[in-house]
Amino acid sequence: MRYRLGVPRFAESIPDGHVNAVATQDPVDPDRVGIPSDEEIAALVGYRFPGGLRKVERWENWLLTDCTQRQPMSGKQLHPVVLFHVPIQAASTSIGEIFSLCGGGPAGSVTLLGYEWEYLAVMSEDVVYRGDGGVVAATRFRGSDGRVTHDDIFFVIELSDPEETTVARVTTRWRFLR
Amino acid sequence: MEVPALSTLPLIPSLHIACVDPQRMKTMAALLRDPYPIHWDPESVSDAAHGGRTVNQGPLNLAYIANMLMAWAGDGSIRRLEASFHAHVLAGDAVTASGEVDELFDIGGERRARCSVRLLRGDDLIVTGTAEVAIAEMDAIAGTDRMPGQISSELHEDLL
Repeated sequence: MRYRLGVPRFAESIPDGHVNAVATQDPVDPDRVGIPSDEEIAALVGYRFPGGLRKVERWENWLLTDCTQRQPMSGKQLHPVVLFHVPIQAASTSIGEIFSLCGGGPAGSVTLLGYEWEYLAVMSEDVVYRGDGGVVAATRFRGSDGRVTHDDIFFVIELSDPEETTVARVTTRWRFLR
Repeated sequence: MEVPALSTLPLIPSLHIACVDPQRMKTMAALLRDPYPIHWDPESVSDAAHGGRTVNQGPLNLAYIANMLMAWAGDGSIRRLEASFHAHVLAGDAVTASGEVDELFDIGGERRARCSVRLLRGDDLIVTGTAEVAIAEMDAIAGTDRMPGQISSELHEDLL
């Protein structure tokens, strides 16, 4: 293994060229009630995802590109939309885990505010990328009555190639309605 | 490297998606391992606002913009995408990605276009944002009379 950063929880036993970086799922419990405390929201800043490895094979890139309603990508280039889920999974977390971490509630209570995706190098099928990142900002909002209305939570994940060159950086902004 | 005038660049052809496909949302949810049912279970969106129409994933809405940019400047041309989301796209909606070049600049020996981009459903803004696109590969077509046009998703379907 050429990767030297913190070892992800399940990557130690993964041989070279064979990666399974899909994290376990904790689906959002639709019956969940309760709002995280101010302290819990503030404590999210600085939270680090475990980190890990991820590669995208041809079948996944093809299906992903098909979902965007265009023809397959030329060569082995990954479709740009990989920068949504691949960094999350490479960092050994999941959408469900992030929702749980941030106190996501029932359907409709989490809103995507936006992304910033930076493509620092071409990303290709069958290359093993490392993901590292965490929560960089968490802001609580209250209505005029003092009641908590929502929390805006930002996280950043970087992907690096086997030569440890950063190839992509993503910033994702989510709003959790309370 | 001499930066070409804006007037010598072809305009970005818009990209029209005639029908956002709920079956593709299901595939996308599986690929993303996204447990949120609004993308795949019509019962979870049975309220009046949705009428049982599932909600397209935000990344797919941004992907239509990316596809527009790649159809214009080539696969692998996108260097940066920044987007804000303002409304949901529902199954069966028709949407159009559009954009224009705001600025040309050189960075690291590479010529880039900074573009304003958006996704529209009729007159409704769904996504707005900015993009940086490498345009070196476009030298061959810069300066031609290529007119702004529209690429339809059906055209892409024919290629599959």
